[in-house]
Amino acid sequence: MFSFSDFHRAFLAPAALLMGLAVLPAETVAQETPSGGRLVVAADSEPRSLNPAIVASNGVFFIASKVIEPLAEASYDEDGLEPRLATSWEAADDGRSITFKLREGVTWHDGKPFTSADVAFSALQVWKPLQNLGRTVFANLEDVETPDDHTAVFKFSAPTPPQMILKALPAVTSVLPRHVYEGTDIAANPANAQLIGTGPFKFAEHRPGEYYRLVRNDDYWNEGQPKLDEIIYRILPDRAAAASALEADEIQLAAFSQVPLVDLERISQVPGLTVVTKGYEDLTYQLVVEINHRNEILADPKVRQAIAHAIDRKFVVDTIFLGYAQAATGPVPKNATEFYTPDVPAYGFDVAKANALLDEAGYARKEDGTRFSLRLLPAPFFTETRQFGDYLRQALAEVGIDVQVVNNDTPAHLKAVYTDHDFDLAVGSPVFRDDPAISTTILVKSGIPEGVPFSNQGGYADAELDALIDKAASTVNAEERIALYKDFQRLVAEDLPLINVAEWTFTSVARDNILNIANNPRWVVSNWADTAIQP
Amino acid sequence: MSFLARFLRSPEGVAGLLLLACLLAMALLAPVLFPRDPLSIVGRPLIPPFADWSLPLGTDRLGRDVLAGLMHGARTSLLVGISAAVVALAAGAVIGTLAGFAAGWLDEALMRVVDAFQIVPPFLLALAFVSVVGASLPVIVLAIALGAWTGAARLARAEVLSIRERDYVAAARVIGMHPLEIAFKEVLPNALPPVLALTSVIVAGAVLTEAALSFLGLGDPNTVTWGSMIAEGRNVLRTAPFLSIVPGLGLVLTVLGVYLLGEGLVEALARKRRRQ
Repeated sequence: MFSFSDFHRAFLAPAALLMGLAVLPAETVAQETPSGGRLVVAADSEPRSLNPAIVASNGVFFIASKVIEPLAEASYDEDGLEPRLATSWEAADDGRSITFKLREGVTWHDGKPFTSADVAFSALQVWKPLQNLGRTVFANLEDVETPDDHTAVFKFSAPTPPQMILKALPAVTSVLPRHVYEGTDIAANPANAQLIGTGPFKFAEHRPGEYYRLVRNDDYWNEGQPKLDEIIYRILPDRAAAASALEADEIQLAAFSQVPLVDLERISQVPGLTVVTKGYEDLTYQLVVEINHRNEILADPKVRQAIAHAIDRKFVVDTIFLGYAQAATGPVPKNATEFYTPDVPAYGFDVAKANALLDEAGYARKEDGTRFSLRLLPAPFFTETRQFGDYLRQALAEVGIDVQVVNNDTPAHLKAVYTDHDFDLAVGSPVFRDDPAISTTILVKSGIPEGVPFSNQGGYADAELDALIDKAASTVNAEERIALYKDFQRLVAEDLPLINVAEWTFTSVARDNILNIANNPRWVVSNWADTAIQP
Repeated sequence: MSFLARFLRSPEGVAGLLLLACLLAMALLAPVLFPRDPLSIVGRPLIPPFADWSLPLGTDRLGRDVLAGLMHGARTSLLVGISAAVVALAAGAVIGTLAGFAAGWLDEALMRVVDAFQIVPPFLLALAFVSVVGASLPVIVLAIALGAWTGAARLARAEVLSIRERDYVAAARVIGMHPLEIAFKEVLPNALPPVLALTSVIVAGAVLTEAALSFLGLGDPNTVTWGSMIAEGRNVLRTAPFLSIVPGLGLVLTVLGVYLLGEGLVEALARKRRRQ
């Protein structure tokens, strides 16, 4: 039986605490977290659609998560979840249903009540058919039954691991108002820009190129929240500008490493500013070398092992990431403690061994000292992915592999790698979303149609690995599932369908007087209801 | 007094010549002094200049030698500048001569093509061309030449229009020379000097355009260029400004050198005319 009694305990404890506080003099609380004020934060992009139920990405959540809430949010507690629109949940033993009890007394920003019909509508009409992650997570979702206004029962056509569904709740279950979306073209609804949700902040306005403005929702279900009156997202596409704007006190918070890593040491010395590395634990990015197995040289596992040995992970972590990263051992990052296993083949930095492996594979050095030539496409998403591309070219030159770097902008890179397969090696940055089934196994599984970004487009196919992935996807028991994913890590590290180099999360820089920041593992993309400014 | 002597009397020309000679020496000596790939990682990252005498100008974010980058970058800059100028001048002179000599509908057609190219700002043209075709040195040279040949074409045409009325051209017609032969053997050589005076302008523009393209990440990522060095240095502008300043100075000196040399040449030519 998959039990959630732990969760109930965890939930009831804060509830009791709240009741206790109601008895105690309220002023002490008020003094601790002041109300009011305007928080100005830096935003580096303006997503085309702001609807988090359709586009489950961090860039969208950064703004939309304050307006539209999920069923549950991630938490530092042991069970990892904190209730939002759902108050409790229970999974059936056979993995074919999960029952959510929904919060009562919640209203949408336009005054209509929030009910289970909204959840059923979002799940069946939006998350499953339209959402990038929901398509995988809810692939087997058959129906959502609503026996009453505050109960939603998710029915699955095949056994679905509750562990995966629960891990995915914060990212994939942003609930949309049915009365606004029903009967319209959901992807083109004006509410995708002018958001309507149940969250602590209401969407006020968007001035393209200038700012987004969110204002306090006075009717928020959680009494006493939100603390802030207003949040302004100032559009600052230039990364260097964010650091200067912080110093000038024009903005009070820059998240997602908007302040470049090289500037962090300097800016941490500025009085009144703090560098925060917490609050991103569930948003782990992985630095990987994607490999095109259609290239017969790279189809040889010895060559892939040689490449893995040629990379100095310490250099990557210390020099490219300036220590704000960790060396990776496999496809699951170390901070996913439940799933992670260190017990996999390791590829230490060893140029001699790499050379020996390449000689063994039959690619001796030619007269000019090189063995063969490869094209490398570094992803343009981060400064670090591009820098790693430059580094990889040098690292492979040391073992006699001549690498030609090809730089593309984002659309051209996605097309070249994930649609046209026009690459030999690529540097990618997939996100680990708390459970390997959500966006990690897709990186090595075969049979994925071309054009799906951040998936196995290198033509790698291994029957054993595919069978393991399929088995884990339908294993309901959490321990068995974890054991299967440990095997998965071993297989990937042995055969190297891709090479995991490092894993990193972001940093924030904030004014000292901003309270309650980074208090959950995806704080930047959570609702900020308790964030406050000390006047 | 010979042309050289007249040239040497202009201080600008001499300064420009010296500057360019230094740069040329840097470019030619780069593979001798720094036989390794200038992009290879040779030391600790971000060593400041003059701190370590084996790496006199320090290292960048990844530990690459800034001096090696500077010298190899001079190669790329001069190579791109000179080849773009050669391509632009050659194309401009040929098209201008054809238009001016043929007159009539061919002239009209060619000049409208020139107009079409002149309407688009040269840098945008280069940007669009490189992003569509993909970045490599020949493509970049072509992209820069695309925006620079029109000036040469207009100048050549104007010269040809006056030269084609001269007596020796009429004489060539009378003895039955083929019109193309007249255009390229008799007319073009005489129309060339004022067109060549554009060289310095085009070279300087090409060096800057190449740097701007690399700065925007549209250069060839497998070669060092000053533009890409500045772009990389920009990320650490507050902590290690020398990474942008050093290649920036390289650019300034190159453009200045080309400009001064051009000035000196023009002055020397003017003196010659005055004497005549």
